[in-house]
Amino acid sequence: MPDSEHRRSAILRPGFSSLLSVALFGGLWWVLAEGAWRAWGVGAVTVIAAVAASHLLWPPRVARVSPVGLAAFLFFFLWQSLRGGLVVAALALRPRLRLRPDLHELDLRLPPGPARVLLADALSLMPGTVSAGLAGDTLTVHLLDRGLVTEADLRQAEGKVAALFGLKLSAGEGGEGAGD
Amino acid sequence: MTDLPLALALFLLANLAVALWRVLRGPTQADRMLVAVLFGTTGVAILLLLAEAQGVPALVDAALVFALLAAIAGAAFSVRAWRQSTRPDGAKERAHDPD
Amino acid sequence: MILTELASTVLLLAGGAFFLAGTVGLMRFPDVYCRLHALAKVDNLGLGLVVLGLMLRADGLAQALKLGLVWLLALAASATVAYLVARRALRRGIAPWRGEGP
Repeated sequence: MPDSEHRRSAILRPGFSSLLSVALFGGLWWVLAEGAWRAWGVGAVTVIAAVAASHLLWPPRVARVSPVGLAAFLFFFLWQSLRGGLVVAALALRPRLRLRPDLHELDLRLPPGPARVLLADALSLMPGTVSAGLAGDTLTVHLLDRGLVTEADLRQAEGKVAALFGLKLSAGEGGEGAGD
Repeated sequence: MTDLPLALALFLLANLAVALWRVLRGPTQADRMLVAVLFGTTGVAILLLLAEAQGVPALVDAALVFALLAAIAGAAFSVRAWRQSTRPDGAKERAHDPD
Repeated sequence: MILTELASTVLLLAGGAFFLAGTVGLMRFPDVYCRLHALAKVDNLGLGLVVLGLMLRADGLAQALKLGLVWLLALAASATVAYLVARRALRRGIAPWRGEGP
């Protein structure tokens, strides 16, 4: 794998990234404490511990996340998971159950790492697909019904994940069309 | 409509009971693993509804921990326990339910 | 106020309906992979709708966001567990049911 080519992770300046994680964990604490300001004594300690732990476990070298890509991905993901729930619910309630399940192997163009994991997880919540294995560069996907999902649908999801991480996929760009 | 959350919680509890029965019946070990997914969704929904119905916000925290544990327990169980119980090659299970 | 209450009621009822559909799918689908679809998608949508309905009843932004956080965690949990179950099942040689005819 041409790893370095793909991983164009902008090495965030440590100062900025620490500040960002303090803000993130601070916000998380605020939510967990349901906005109770008097809990800030415990909160401050917890937030500092969380920031330290996150820097130890996941050094701030995380691949850059593009804000536009993130928004596009979230919108796509929410819409698709709404559709996924509707489609599968309709299938389950149909008087005559006629499923044609299948396994599909998708050759990934995403680089190894968080992008692949996110795609595998996201596909499990989308219409008609559940990820069932990731070996080498191949993602095995279980299709609830062959007629429900096309390769183009999977490619579109892959494209959205790539955009989220600000990655360019190699030749044969998927992502257009085939969504109805 | 203050009773709606409580009624819905009871409805989901009935759902959960039926689903549990189905899932525990198998036929494969993988079917039984679905319990982890069930508690991660239906169980969490019941807790959230009860928190609202009974006015016990602490149940929301319980739901939060449930969701976290569902992820961790599921991952740990899949990776560890199941591997140890894997039968030698050739003993393939039937995936299709006979009825 | 009446309007939010109405919206909340509709969302909660819709959520319950999806949970029911998920259970029906669980009962009817032919093998463990298909049953995963029912749980991972339909039940999560049900949970999402219930969470939205309860968010409308929450006092304050932080409480509402906390409910949203629970949903996010549950999503991550079931996506991960669904993947792990399906992968393990495949590795153990549980063949997916292929249906009748092409």
